[in-house]
Amino acid sequence: MQTEPTIIGFLCNWCSYAAADLAGNSKLEVPGNLTTIRVMCSSRVDPVFILNAYFQGADGVLVAGCHPGDCHYQTGNYYARRRLALLIKILQTFDIEPKRLRLSWISASEGQRFSEITQEFAKFIKEAGPNPLKKKPFFE
Amino acid sequence: MKGKIIEIKSDLNTAIKNIIKTLVQKKLFDAVFVPVRIPSRESFAYLLIKDKEILESITPLPPTMPVQGARALKDLTRLGKLNLRILCIMRPCEIRAAVELAKLRQITLQNLTFFSFDCPGVFPTAEYIKSPEKYDQNIIEKIKAWQEDGLRPNCSICVNFSHYNTPADLHIGFYRNHLLIYPVSKNSQKILDILSYRAEDDLTEWENSINTLLKKKKENRSRKFSLLSNQTKGIENLEEFFTGCINCHNCMRVCPICYCRQCFFESPEQSHHEAEEYLARAKEKGGIRFPPERMVFHLGRMNHMALSCVGCGSCEDGCPMDVPVGQIFSFIGNEVQKMFDYLPGKNLEEPIPLLTFKEDELHEYEDTREKK
Ligand code: SF4
Ligand code: SF4
Ligand code: SF4
Ligand code: FES
Repeated sequence: MQTEPTIIGFLCNWCSYAAADLAGNSKLEVPGNLTTIRVMCSSRVDPVFILNAYFQGADGVLVAGCHPGDCHYQTGNYYARRRLALLIKILQTFDIEPKRLRLSWISASEGQRFSEITQEFAKFIKEAGPNPLKKKPFFE
Repeated sequence: MKGKIIEIKSDLNTAIKNIIKTLVQKKLFDAVFVPVRIPSRESFAYLLIKDKEILESITPLPPTMPVQGARALKDLTRLGKLNLRILCIMRPCEIRAAVELAKLRQITLQNLTFFSFDCPGVFPTAEYIKSPEKYDQNIIEKIKAWQEDGLRPNCSICVNFSHYNTPADLHIGFYRNHLLIYPVSKNSQKILDILSYRAEDDLTEWENSINTLLKKKKENRSRKFSLLSNQTKGIENLEEFFTGCINCHNCMRVCPICYCRQCFFESPEQSHHEAEEYLARAKEKGGIRFPPERMVFHLGRMNHMALSCVGCGSCEDGCPMDVPVGQIFSFIGNEVQKMFDYLPGKNLEEPIPLLTFKEDELHEYEDTREKK
């Protein structure tokens, strides 16, 4: 049984979340299996949120924030980049599928970019197959 | 390299104690923060000592480390700066953890003076309390021979056991029945003056002996790390590595760096959920293990603090299940610290990597798929 993958998107309120809105209003295509979670800044995303999503069976996680230099709180996304780089490094070291995690910068006016990035990511995740942690009750 | 060489007439602990006593008598310090053997004799505790008589019973070089010194020091300075001038005698990893905690604003270093010493390592606390006499004797042998068997596993792969990378005020070395006083900070001149010592003796022989040992330990360390790397590749292997873990969170509680009063992994938002939510998760995963989030705890804790991990091995020492948790944290700490060229606790002025950034960096972690 091949179900649609689950993709979680942590979207910054000031840019990527607005871009998602814009994409919707402009009738651009956005994957139906993307569940969005609005955060006030990309730096609000504790790597543990991503681990939670991943260990609970999410197939892909997207974190999207304002372009470097454009963070509503000046520098939040620079800190977010360090944190996510750290998480990716840890996942790489233990070989726990870092490819399922994606960090992108999408501004409020980039509805088109939002649509492209999410579709491309959804396609990639589908090809990557289901998260191996899905049916592993002991791996929590 | 210059310092002062002193012959040890009695034993090491006494030799160091005599120096400390002089400094307190001459009123350079108001109190001393140092390990003391507890009266039942089976263990050691940090004491803040004002009383000169109690000073007689100190053990600056205990064979085991039941409490990480930085953790103890944090309790002392939690509410801010001290008005007393306190001398702290600690191992290099304890001093580094204290500096790291100062960067995290959990310790105030003002009015504290640190003495470090060549650390021979410590014995696992659980082993020590079974036969203290054996280990009391052994620690002296260890210092003489620098053997590694029986030590805390983290101690045998420790490469910062001497003055290198240790931000003490004054370092005490050991070499062939001699104590070596090596002044590190500007502060240390005053100390030498009071002791009427001049830093004029040549320390090259000692330095060479430390370098030889360092080379050996570096080899041990990279051997151990490549072993750990193979052992933990892939989630199945990682799970097996933590197989004995009962999710008790002791490793977090005894870690000097994990200072949060409410650990995120014990907070209601992370770990108190309605039964329905667990049912939904069970559906997704086929079933879920209780208590839940064991792996997320370890991997999450790495994300929170591995950049500051000083590799002391206290977590492993406090683990009731003998999980090699200190070794894996040291290993991953080394990996992530390399990313930012950061050595925790080495330099107070250097910010913790997650508390700073560069505008132009880490692009390889952005839009990773787009670039391929
Ligand atoms: S994680 Fe373990 S080895 Fe690292 S600082 Fe904490 S107690 Fe020491
Ligand atoms: S694991 Fe994280 S939240 Fe818990 S005490 Fe350590 S740093 Fe704090
Ligand atoms: S590694 Fe050890 S101390 Fe840490 S939670 Fe597991 S059993 Fe407890
Ligand atoms: S406000 Fe959008 S990333 Fe900080």
